[in-house]
Amino acid sequence: MKLSSMRYLNKQGLENIWKNRMMAFASFCVLLVSIMLVGIAVLLFMNLNSIIGGIENKNEVIVFLDPEITQEQTETVQSKLEQIDNIEDISFYSKEDAFDSLKESMADYAQVFDSLGNDNPLPDSFRIKIKDISLTEETVTLMNEIDNIYHIRAPYDFVNVLSEMRKIVSWVSVVVIIALSIVSMVIISNTTKASVFARRNEISIMKYVGATDAFIRIPFFVEGMVTGFAAGIVATIITWIGYDALVDLLTKEVNILNVIGVGSIIPFNDIAIKVAIIYVLAGGLIGALGSVISTRKHLDV
Amino acid sequence: MVELKNVSVTYSTGVDALNHVNLRINDGDFAFVVGSSGAGKSTLIKLILKEIDATSGVVMVNDHNLTRLKRKKIPEFRRTIGFVFQDFRLIPSMTVYENIAFVLRVIDAPRKYIRKRVPYVISLVGLQEKANSYPNQLSGGEQQHVAIARALVNDPQLIIADEPTGNIDPELSYEIVELLKGINECGTTILMVTHEHDLVRHFGGRIININSGEIVFDEIIGGNNEA
Repeated sequence: MKLSSMRYLNKQGLENIWKNRMMAFASFCVLLVSIMLVGIAVLLFMNLNSIIGGIENKNEVIVFLDPEITQEQTETVQSKLEQIDNIEDISFYSKEDAFDSLKESMADYAQVFDSLGNDNPLPDSFRIKIKDISLTEETVTLMNEIDNIYHIRAPYDFVNVLSEMRKIVSWVSVVVIIALSIVSMVIISNTTKASVFARRNEISIMKYVGATDAFIRIPFFVEGMVTGFAAGIVATIITWIGYDALVDLLTKEVNILNVIGVGSIIPFNDIAIKVAIIYVLAGGLIGALGSVISTRKHLDV
Repeated sequence: MVELKNVSVTYSTGVDALNHVNLRINDGDFAFVVGSSGAGKSTLIKLILKEIDATSGVVMVNDHNLTRLKRKKIPEFRRTIGFVFQDFRLIPSMTVYENIAFVLRVIDAPRKYIRKRVPYVISLVGLQEKANSYPNQLSGGEQQHVAIARALVNDPQLIIADEPTGNIDPELSYEIVELLKGINECGTTILMVTHEHDLVRHFGGRIININSGEIVFDEIIGGNNEA
């Protein structure tokens, strides 16, 4: 096909949007709603995951060291702990720190502590953050193999609940997103079918004068793609505004986030470009393919 | 040239639309195809356009063996034929000029040629003033003139006109046939399906009568206008 023909067909596609503006608008709306439906579901689940992740980050495995441990042995334990893959962060918590914080938290019992004098019964410890908390048990087993450890305290119940929650959220999100995608595709395919059906005569005339399938399809492709792009752009803007407004509302008006940690909500700015690219590409692709596939039935003349 | 050798068409519903039809239309011929509804006229047209396939027999059109023609080659084949339909079949979203130019765009004709050729054929059918009008702004007769210009623009070997006068005023019918006759005189083969016996009697020429899927009459008769 010649360049001038390609130019002509692209122009035809763009003009067709205006000429068939009612149907183009319907396709645009359906694409917009579909993209947003799936997009918002994805964002919601991303945030849920991030919030669970935020809570997980507050988990702590405490490794208490032998009371009689030497400085050198402490360093050996630390270097061995550092070699374990699933450990994200290790901080040393000396028995003095522990004693001070205990005294602080139990100020009413100052006399009891005073009676102990300089006799500190608490051991040194390492506070450890685990990367993947579902592997806590295995990680603790590895830690247990290290010498000079007196006791390890791990939040197993907490870990189990969170792992379960994450599993459930992942499954629910996959199911919901697939369901929404299917619903969207059905609606989109029906809309594009209706839009193409309205122009089936036009397609058959083109076939009669000897137009190839590609020649007929390119304008539909361009038309669907541009409509999809537009839907993607508008969906990005609406999602952005809506998302920020919701985050604003949750942080300012509702106190839940103070409990679970505001930091766990993903700021839109961090994902704006990704969201925009995915929305626009998805819109363009679905729009273009939708209309091209719908023309197929009418090309057999 | 159109040639049917022992062609039969049976639809999936079991209806025998054509029975062992033999027909030859030579280059430069003008033939009327007549017959009552359901006689097989439309089936004949669909066969020649490769819209349907013959159940048996051989269909040759403009040196293409349609029995063997691959789907991919259909567009190329159709470019050798011009069509005029009863319901005009113009693209409503395109102007007169665009409707006609479209045929040339399909064959990748140079833009310069399109700009020269399209106004020329528009002038042949006398619609210079309406070049930028849309089909719904034209009368039935005018729309059929556009359809004829579209059929003509590609300089096809064969023009098939399926009831071209069916949707227009009777007095304009003669004008349409005159136009087709004029095109025929320049060498284009024309096959015109009609059920308007007055027209056929008036113009005369080769008459092919189809009845119940068979050709029952195929002769040249003199027209009233020649008398």
